[in-house]
Amino acid sequence: MAISWYLLVSAAMFGLGAIGVMVRRNPLVILLCLELMLNAGNLALIGFARMWGNGDGQIFAIIVMVVAACEVAIGLGIIVALYRRRLPVDVDELKELHG
Amino acid sequence: MTIHLSIMLWLPAAAGALALFLPARLARWTWLLGTLLVLAYSVVLLFDYDRAAGGLQFVTDELWIPSLGIHYALAISGLNLVLLATTALAFTVAAAWYLWDDSVERPGLFALLMGLAQTAVMGAFMAQDLALFVVFFDLMLVPFYFLVVIWGGPERREAVLKLFIYTLVGSLLMLVGAIVTGVLAADGGAPSFLLSDLADFPLASGTQAWVFLAFALAFLIKMPLFPFQGWMPDGYRQMPIGVLAVFTAILSKVAAYGFLQVAIPLFPDAAVRFQETLMILAVASIIYGSAMAFTVTNARLILGYSSLAQLGFIVLGIFALDTRGADGALLQMVTHALVTVPLILIVALLARRAKGSEDIRDMGGLAFRAPAFAAVFLVLTLALLAMPGSANFVGEFMILLGVFETKMALAIIASIGVAMAAVYALRLYITTMLNRQGPDTDSKEMTAREALVIVPVMLVLIALSLVPQFALRPAQDGTRESLAAAREVLANDGSVAESRVEARR
Amino acid sequence: MSVATSAWLVLALPLAGTLVIALGGKYWHPRAAAIIGTLAIAIAFAFAVVTLINLQGLPEEERVVTSSLWDLVNVGGLTVQLGIYVDPLSTFMALVVTGVSTLIHLYSAGYMKTDKGYVRYFAYLNFFVFSMLLLVLAGNMVLLIVGWAFVGAASYMLISFWYRRTTATAAGIKAFVINVVGDIGLVLGTLFLFKTIGALDYGALFENVQVDFEKNSPELVIAMILILVGAFAKSAQVPLHTWLPDAMEGPTPVSSLIHAATMVTAGVYLIGRLYPLFEWAPTAADTGAVIGAITLLVAGTIGLVVTDIKKVIAYSTMSQIGYMIMAVSAAAYVGGFFHLMTHAFFKALLFMAAGSLIGAMGGEQSLDKMSGWRKALPFTFRCMLIGGLALAAFPLFSGFFSKDFLLYEIAERGGLYWILYAVGYIGAIFTVFYTFRIIFRAGWGEPCEQAKALEDGHQWHAPEPFNPANGEVEDTDVGFPGPHHNYAEESTSMKVPMAILAVLAVIAGVVQLPYEITHVLGSFLEPTFADSAIKHSADYGLETFGLVLSVAISVIFIPIAWMIWVKKPGTSARIQQRFKALYELFSHKWYFDELINALIVRPMAWMGRWFKNTFERVVVDGLFVGGPTSLVKASSAAVRSLQTGLLRSYAGLLILGVVAALLYFLIRAA
Repeated sequence: MAISWYLLVSAAMFGLGAIGVMVRRNPLVILLCLELMLNAGNLALIGFARMWGNGDGQIFAIIVMVVAACEVAIGLGIIVALYRRRLPVDVDELKELHG
Repeated sequence: MTIHLSIMLWLPAAAGALALFLPARLARWTWLLGTLLVLAYSVVLLFDYDRAAGGLQFVTDELWIPSLGIHYALAISGLNLVLLATTALAFTVAAAWYLWDDSVERPGLFALLMGLAQTAVMGAFMAQDLALFVVFFDLMLVPFYFLVVIWGGPERREAVLKLFIYTLVGSLLMLVGAIVTGVLAADGGAPSFLLSDLADFPLASGTQAWVFLAFALAFLIKMPLFPFQGWMPDGYRQMPIGVLAVFTAILSKVAAYGFLQVAIPLFPDAAVRFQETLMILAVASIIYGSAMAFTVTNARLILGYSSLAQLGFIVLGIFALDTRGADGALLQMVTHALVTVPLILIVALLARRAKGSEDIRDMGGLAFRAPAFAAVFLVLTLALLAMPGSANFVGEFMILLGVFETKMALAIIASIGVAMAAVYALRLYITTMLNRQGPDTDSKEMTAREALVIVPVMLVLIALSLVPQFALRPAQDGTRESLAAAREVLANDGSVAESRVEARR
Repeated sequence: MSVATSAWLVLALPLAGTLVIALGGKYWHPRAAAIIGTLAIAIAFAFAVVTLINLQGLPEEERVVTSSLWDLVNVGGLTVQLGIYVDPLSTFMALVVTGVSTLIHLYSAGYMKTDKGYVRYFAYLNFFVFSMLLLVLAGNMVLLIVGWAFVGAASYMLISFWYRRTTATAAGIKAFVINVVGDIGLVLGTLFLFKTIGALDYGALFENVQVDFEKNSPELVIAMILILVGAFAKSAQVPLHTWLPDAMEGPTPVSSLIHAATMVTAGVYLIGRLYPLFEWAPTAADTGAVIGAITLLVAGTIGLVVTDIKKVIAYSTMSQIGYMIMAVSAAAYVGGFFHLMTHAFFKALLFMAAGSLIGAMGGEQSLDKMSGWRKALPFTFRCMLIGGLALAAFPLFSGFFSKDFLLYEIAERGGLYWILYAVGYIGAIFTVFYTFRIIFRAGWGEPCEQAKALEDGHQWHAPEPFNPANGEVEDTDVGFPGPHHNYAEESTSMKVPMAILAVLAVIAGVVQLPYEITHVLGSFLEPTFADSAIKHSADYGLETFGLVLSVAISVIFIPIAWMIWVKKPGTSARIQQRFKALYELFSHKWYFDELINALIVRPMAWMGRWFKNTFERVVVDGLFVGGPTSLVKASSAAVRSLQTGLLRSYAGLLILGVVAALLYFLIRAA
């Protein structure tokens, strides 16, 4: 199967994820969309790995998964912390860091 | 002997770092001890330096960044010998001053920043490598930024913004100038930023002009010289008083030293080309600073503007491009530092006796129960106005002598500044110490602690007045060397000397 | 003891006195300070005598001794040593300075007895004498300038001695600044000389001036005129004289010190010291002579109308210094220095007598309020009369011989110098009037309230102490002579010096009597002025003419003064009415203060204000600082507005950026 199909699916997932990050306001959903984007990247990496016939891409994908796991742990922690402090769970409201 | 200078250089910063982790009382003493050690070191240097031989001594030279040809090169020369001792003295006085000033919170951090400042200043004095000089010169600004932001007066933010941005503009220009100098001098070969190497391969006359201007602007802003003193009034008012004493006395001298150490030897053609411009700025500075000094009423600003005038004299002496003028300028740098440090602290003493006000209109009659204080203040006032008999006069006299040889008219205009100095200096003394007592004043004698900080500096000044030759003898060799190239250009009617064209090829 | 050693000791003793008194400060008993101060100067005088004897022991051509301790400056061909130059002239000056100063110290010990700043006063006084001796003994131009400035500073401290009086501090700063103007003249003149001759030592200057300069060359003339500016400022010559009358704010013994022995004579000494240079630049020397002549007339006329007794004597000093400046500039050296000496005696005496009188008046200085003191203060009054007669050149008093000899030496040069000679005798008429105006007004007439009180045996005191200059009530804590004023009749330490000076004022003329009967001073100063190109030959006819003229002036004008102020007391008011314009001119002191104010003080103050209010704000703060800082601020504001804090917009921008980068590479690849 040609590499282009993998890439097509990967691009579609990435695009969906990106749109999700931009249009949704709930941090939890944004986190989910980010995961989607990361996995799109993973798919592409694995696809390329298969194309070239070596394991480099797969190793990258595993590292990305590890990073994603860390990120989820921190991201969920932040969301829980927001919830506990009874702050709005809405990224548009959370903009104290503006210039 | 190579290790010596590095120890002396980093000792203040190290003492400051140690003070950071100590309780308040101990931190102050650690800081003082550090500065005292450096002072002792510099006194040893004063007597150890072989005056007959001259030149660079106690050289430390390590390759720091080999790919760029940047050296960690330190040395003592006739130019910086006495200035280093003055720096050590000024910082010791500041440390002693804060020993008993409890208004400063977190003294450990304060000591660290002041230690860093001292290291940076001494580094700039000692550096024999252009890049190293630029590094230390820019490093000076960082601790002062924090010192003002954390411990400054109520309007410190606005002041520090002005100070920081304005001096940074100059510093960045200088950085660009330094890089250009190094790259062009290497001419495609292996670069070296050693000052001695750079002086051997002068730039083309046209390039020199704008690189020189970049350096000159940095120095003039740092001093400051008219008309670049815009940051000064706010900066002076907001700085903690001990910091201000060091800032006025020493930092301005680094800039003036920069002319002698870097700008004139490296860019002699440009120095000759802009000689008149700088001398006119200097004279304008003298007149403007003096006129302002007898108009403003804040005691700090009177001293600030008087410094503007005095720095005018220093620049005038340097750009007479005559060794006697430059010797006088170097002596004037030392004596001006020695007179500014105690006088700025005296402003604090005055404020303590006038319910915290630093406006001279709120004072008056303070000499009443304080004869010793009045006597010390009067001696320093007379030194400030460069009364003959003080070392300040010897400096001014030699500057005028150097200028007189070449630009007689400028010397005569500059001498008007001497008369104006008498007016503003005596005005400061009379309105604060004499006449009827102000309503909200309290005439108290100088305490033993206050005397311990101020009187030793005065005694050094008096001693130097008796033997100015002590500072002039080493300066002589230093200035001759630093002006040699420029004098050659002068002798050739401003065109590049033949020998230098040869070197260029 | 060698000449140099004793000369160094002359210099060292007053300095040691200053340091000992000043460092001891409040720990000294006031008496101790007075004793130390007086002794230091007295011993210095003794050493000056030793120097004189030793110097006379040397062969005539070797009577210049130089000695130096160490190099102050020795770089780049410029050498300045801490050295002294001892020759007959400087020895003569040292003798006059230390001698008269000793007496003034002694007088001060009594006069200032009740003052709270007693110790401080003696420290200043010793410093003053030290400065003057440094000026006199200095071996090169730089050290001369140092002494010159020290004298200025010392006079500043003493003029502002009662520092709680605003009038005193204002007078102090005025004196100091005008003196600094003089210093600058001196410095610039020195630089001119150094530029051509390349040396600053007297010896080298005198030797090389004729080699390095053409006679009367413009550079030399400019240099010497600049040096004259220094002399004018210190010696209170027109137009730099305005500080002198104001300097009367100091305690009276200080006025005596400034006017008699030290300070104002410095200019005369300077011109005499540098005579080889002045003779080589005759234009400059003539300028000095003319200014001296103008000063003696201007000061004489003002002396006729001011009412403050100390100021009258001050203007008289100015006038007499005018004679001396005129003389030494016109190469009448012996005459000039002869008059300097006799003037030191009788002027010190006059001030002391005036001080005693002011003390008895309870601090009041106005002549308008004084009258009839003849009987109440017999000793003071006699001293004043003797001093006055000497000042007015009454026959056989010291001033008679010195003034005549001075004018005779000027006349000998002939030509236009006859004008100066005539001016000198016109000035002598003024001298008679202003001198006897004081004596007649204070001594004769109905005794005033204060005099009556003293005749009844008790001293008058003002109900509230006040500042005589502006009538302000004194701050009684410190800073005025104290509630009790001292006068000579009750104080031995005031009487003794006055008596000594009275004797000297009468007899000092014997050192140089007319018709070469005695020629002590002339032959003593001979080695110093041996190289002078202008030789004086004896001309008995001319001398007789001068003496007759002098006697005539005394005989005619003293009775006229008697008529005006004693016989018909209303006369002076009628004269004032008659010559109203002249009176206005004189009583406004020829408008010199107003002129200097309008030309220098006010423009300077205006410039300062303009700098502060306009230039600093608009150009320096607005353009130079405002430029870079507002640029940085504007650009940071622009960048800051992108930082919305909206997470989704950041993400959008990020993606846009990535897409843009991708597109760029795609397009490049295509």
